[in-house]
Amino acid sequence: MDIDVSAIFQIAGIGIIIAMIHTLLKQMGKEEVAHWVTVIGFVVVLFMVVRLLNDLFQEIKTIFLFQ
Amino acid sequence: MLLKLIGASLILFAGTLIGFLQAARFADRPKQIRQLAGALQRLETEIVFGQTPLPDALQHTASNAGQPVGRLFQAVADELSAGEGRSFRECWDHAMRRAWPTTSMRAPELTVTLRLGSILGMSDKDDQLKHLRLAAVQLKAEEDAARDDQAKYEKMSRSLGLLLAVLVVILMV
Repeated sequence: MDIDVSAIFQIAGIGIIIAMIHTLLKQMGKEEVAHWVTVIGFVVVLFMVVRLLNDLFQEIKTIFLFQ
Repeated sequence: MLLKLIGASLILFAGTLIGFLQAARFADRPKQIRQLAGALQRLETEIVFGQTPLPDALQHTASNAGQPVGRLFQAVADELSAGEGRSFRECWDHAMRRAWPTTSMRAPELTVTLRLGSILGMSDKDDQLKHLRLAAVQLKAEEDAARDDQAKYEKMSRSLGLLLAVLVVILMV
């Protein structure tokens, strides 16, 4: 449980920082770079979520298809 | 835990430092372009009124200009006095290209300077004067552009360094 909570906080932190970088770059007129940063942040978070989902499915497997 | 904390603070420190260095480059560029223009003015005086031979004129300019720009002219003067039978233009090109990374200036100023180098010492003083004036005007334009860049990017790179460091720290926790 403890690990899960820290992962959620980590994703939230990444979101906040990426949002700040995005606004900063957009303000300075570098919109393409800002969009790339957002996309990269999204992909990183997606990887983390996929790992967590993988854990979830493993858990379900061990519960319902135990052998 | 303690080790993690130390590592995180080191990354934060390094990121902030990189951001500040980048900002300092943006802040130094207009200053150094102005210095370069001043040095060329000095060289113009040496050529037009003093009619000093070019190696001596470069030496005087180098000793009078401020530091990063003085090094450029010093490098040219050194290459010239080393001899080796190369033309002034080759010496100027080579020395400028070699010493350029020690300054905060970028490619457009280098182009202006190199173009000037193909003229200096090749013709009479009126022609050289004309090209020195042209270079001064071009450098002025570059200085304005550099000042715009400074207003735009100086603060941005400062906060961007810190933000990227924070991002790396969060990713690695």
